[in-house]
Amino acid sequence: MKFIGTVIVCLTGGLLLYGTMDLPDWGDPGSPASTHLSDYYIEHIMEQTQVPNLVTAVLADYRGYDTMFETAVVFCAGLACFLLLRDFRPKKDRYFRHVPTGVMLHFKNPDTRMIADNEFEHMDKDWVPSDMIIKTVCRILIPFIQIYALYVVAHGDFSPGGGFQGGVIFGSSLILMAISYNLKTLVKRVTEKFLSIFAALGVLIYVGLGVGAMVMGGHFLDYGMLAPLLPSDPGHIRALGMLGVEIGVGIAVMAVMVIIYVNIVSEGRHDEGL
Amino acid sequence: MHILINIAAIFFLAMGLIFFLGGAVGIIRMPDFYSRLHPAGKLDTLGIFAMVLGLVIYNLHHFSIEVLLLSIKMFLIVFFVFLASPTATHSIVDAGMRAGLRPWTRKTKKE
Repeated sequence: MKFIGTVIVCLTGGLLLYGTMDLPDWGDPGSPASTHLSDYYIEHIMEQTQVPNLVTAVLADYRGYDTMFETAVVFCAGLACFLLLRDFRPKKDRYFRHVPTGVMLHFKNPDTRMIADNEFEHMDKDWVPSDMIIKTVCRILIPFIQIYALYVVAHGDFSPGGGFQGGVIFGSSLILMAISYNLKTLVKRVTEKFLSIFAALGVLIYVGLGVGAMVMGGHFLDYGMLAPLLPSDPGHIRALGMLGVEIGVGIAVMAVMVIIYVNIVSEGRHDEGL
Repeated sequence: MHILINIAAIFFLAMGLIFFLGGAVGIIRMPDFYSRLHPAGKLDTLGIFAMVLGLVIYNLHHFSIEVLLLSIKMFLIVFFVFLASPTATHSIVDAGMRAGLRPWTRKTKKE
């Protein structure tokens, strides 16, 4: 079985390498993309969209369909992770710690109900005392990371950055919280419902901007048609449309990052993990 | 004035390079996991501090408010690296001790 797998992988890789032989050389000025398309973008982007960052303008406006389906792919990745890993069965073994004495209790019967007040604390099997240095520094850093993520999302029009990068930074700040405290702290604050709604909401914002343009009488994702809705001069409206799209992408990517992390580290139980 | 700024920038950049070189040699030459983390942690603090300080000084050639803002942003990088890098080193050492990795001593090597 392993041998067959190796053969298939080598065959596919060989075919892909064979396919690359037909591609134009790196930076070839005679290739179709460089002869017509690049010149057009470089000459017209500033007057058409007023976005100084050409990469953002190409990705979010000229090739908006591509980016929309990329966001949908990210959403599907989160959905697949949820469907494959999520486990709703209650856990058999439960561990409790008596806080004043530090005694550990191990329950093997899932039907046992703990009758206790705040003296008992539900905990993981491989629990380690949380480190004060790490907790304090992460508590200081997480808000700055999140502000920086918003900055990256909002600044995608002018400088390197955008929805995907900003969303990943925001998601990683939440993952840092799960690592430095524990998974329960994260799940209590950022619930599964919240994450699922936000993952779908991000894609919805993107598609909604496209459909909004259709409603206003233009083509799908033709942001210029949104001009009557927003108080802005018509030349700048495409930049605003791109900003809205970037925000949608950022929300979706942030939520999917956390969904994937939480599902993988807790084996789908959302109770304990890294 | 420009020549003074250039001299200061070159001085700090060279200092940063020396620290980076020493740290890189240390990571290769040190005998075990914990002692290798020591030069690695030094790199991220003093090396980056000197390098960014050099860049900040060089950046202040044509002084204006925007350039000053850029320099402050560059220094913010140093600030956050100063917070994050020692914590990362600390947590790696902590994880190593919890996992049961013994520190290297000369005696254990001879056995």
